[in-house]
Amino acid sequence: MASLLIKKASIASEDNDDLLPADVLVENGLITKIGNDIEADSATRVIDGSGKILSPAMFDTHIHMREPGQEAKETIKSGTEAAINGGITGVVLMPNTSPAIDSAAMVRTIYDIAERDARIPVYTSGCITKGREGKELAGIDGMLQLGVKMLTDDGDAVPDMMLLKRAMEYASEFDCFFASHCEVLELSGPRALNEGKVSYKLGIQGTPACSEEICMDRDIRLAHATGARLHIQHVSSKIGMETIRWWKQMGAKVTAEVSPHHLLFNEEDIGNYDTHYKMNPPLRTAEDNAALLQGLKEGVFDIIATDHAPHTPFEKEQDFVSAPNGITGLETAVVSLFHHYINKGEFGWSLLVNRYSAQPRRMMGLDPVAIVEGGRADFILFDPKGETTFSPDFMCSKSENTPFLNKTLDGSIDLVVVGDDILLQR
Amino acid sequence: MTRKDLLDIESLRREEIEHLLDQAAPFKELFTRSVKKVPALKGKSVLTLFYEPSTRTLSSFEVAAKRLSADVTTFDVPHSSVVKGESVRDTIATLQAMRTDYIIVRNQMAGIPLAIARATKASVINAGDGAHSHPTQALLDGFTFKEVFPEPAGKKLLIIGDILHSRVARSTSTLMRKLGVEVAWLGPGSLVPKHGPSEIKRFTNYDEAMKWSPDAVYLLRIQMERQSAPFFPSLREYTKLYGITQERFKRIADQGTYIMHPGPVNRGVELCDDVMQYQRCLIDQQVENGIATRMAVLYWLKPDTAGNESLTDEDTN
Repeated sequence: MASLLIKKASIASEDNDDLLPADVLVENGLITKIGNDIEADSATRVIDGSGKILSPAMFDTHIHMREPGQEAKETIKSGTEAAINGGITGVVLMPNTSPAIDSAAMVRTIYDIAERDARIPVYTSGCITKGREGKELAGIDGMLQLGVKMLTDDGDAVPDMMLLKRAMEYASEFDCFFASHCEVLELSGPRALNEGKVSYKLGIQGTPACSEEICMDRDIRLAHATGARLHIQHVSSKIGMETIRWWKQMGAKVTAEVSPHHLLFNEEDIGNYDTHYKMNPPLRTAEDNAALLQGLKEGVFDIIATDHAPHTPFEKEQDFVSAPNGITGLETAVVSLFHHYINKGEFGWSLLVNRYSAQPRRMMGLDPVAIVEGGRADFILFDPKGETTFSPDFMCSKSENTPFLNKTLDGSIDLVVVGDDILLQR
Repeated sequence: MTRKDLLDIESLRREEIEHLLDQAAPFKELFTRSVKKVPALKGKSVLTLFYEPSTRTLSSFEVAAKRLSADVTTFDVPHSSVVKGESVRDTIATLQAMRTDYIIVRNQMAGIPLAIARATKASVINAGDGAHSHPTQALLDGFTFKEVFPEPAGKKLLIIGDILHSRVARSTSTLMRKLGVEVAWLGPGSLVPKHGPSEIKRFTNYDEAMKWSPDAVYLLRIQMERQSAPFFPSLREYTKLYGITQERFKRIADQGTYIMHPGPVNRGVELCDDVMQYQRCLIDQQVENGIATRMAVLYWLKPDTAGNESLTDEDTN
């Protein structure tokens, strides 16, 4: 594709919510001109963007692609196609594969697979401890040499505080940061759902929010004491959000993420043991939903991340306790956030672009992909009047474990462009 | 007014509960006759699938099914290993092939009976799943309570013990409240859920609870294995604070309060020996009523297996 002209689309940016319509010309992968009534030569592909939003493409820092080890759930190929389908053009993988990504050799393996199978950049995090066992430190320097920025034992917390403190002291000297899945296992029980009304009703031991909050506070204190940079993953509770707010005010080098499902759903949605609402940390209460949304608007949450966690139908159709934790998110995130929030005036495109495109890239040491002259083409065209039905046919993920399965929501991602390539066009 | 499955009390309407309790009465009368059997389920097959060891509930169901002339098969499942949901799913396929009409299931995991019910045409009766539900126990408790209090609305029931792990407490509390009975809980703070229905009164001390003048006290069995995880310091301390000791029994007898217990009892822990001889102790009556109410449940449920013959097309696909 030599050149592409998007006509009359409203341009979204992280800076403001004035969605001014303009024409955008892309040549050789770069945005060369933004203006009114740009003329196209005959070789230029022209796409009518009137009534649609042209937004920087999203970037998701919390993704499980299950390869290597559990390719029946997802692969880097199917997972990156799912990302494109959801308007996401860069992902950071979590290291809880089998074997875990805890060495330079494993990082190289991931890059090799991505090189072969993925149409978008794939980054990976690396383990803090070998095999995520919480016993010995992983080969940190080797992974950092290959560009790893985020160290995490995601899926579990590092139980040994001295080990975590030493890891932070060691690695804070390098260009990297830690990410914490926060949970005190002794308090968690079977890790199935929130401790509350619904756990009582369903007769399953619940995980109290304090299991997450105590560990979060512990990890931020350790980071603050050692000077390490720390990112808190998938915050699910009001007190968790307030804990982060307090530590930010104290000057701790802490960032935090919230997932669409923790914003949109709560324990009541589990109904009669619906495993599409089972994840860890669990869905909590309506009060927590409101607090998390507030935290997102006020910037307590720096980024949105999905914790895309594919599982096969067979696994999810088990009883509630046996079924694995997690739901997919890559394909539903943008549309569901548009449907529930932007379309209802809860927040504007600038917030979505900031929290789900610009900030995640900055956190990973990458440049944001704003739609400006001279910028790299890395955007989506979104139709707010369109709609999306999340049918198995629509989804590119190998798994279907999402509460949005077969539901129809407002909004549609019509085009995904990265550089010279149209990755998706509907 | 009929259903395929009985999985919990929550989803039953009050009329359905009353209908079932009314149905149980004539079945109970049957027990006084020399021939205790009726041909109501002749030719039907009942399969019991107990993943947790149980003698009392299992035999109660077997007797109930046999008195309705059903054919009863015990599906032998290992109790020792923790049975994962996965293998239960494989078992369901096997059961479906057996063309059984009723499946009575007990499992340590909450929600397994529902998973089975969704996957089979047979009627599924939940005989206890984790800490979730034990609907036939609740029905037999309701039946027993109504025998002594034909107008249960406004009566008071005090449940004492380990509410947290008890499916009996959950189901019986729900059923009694649907009958208009006032329900209160008493037990160690670590064994009483904080998020139960707000309408259930919560007592923290025995004397205060008895001042509420309950019409019946329902004692829950203290699981001895809970001792390994310290929910309370010792059995001795439990008995001292929450047990029906000799001294407390005198007051109970004076007030004429009825005593209930799902069995089996731990003598000397939840209650002292004398309680078992007490005229208003309903424990044996509960056992007998268990058979009658389970007959009523089996008789009431309608499996989708009726007319299996016409399903051959679908089955051969």
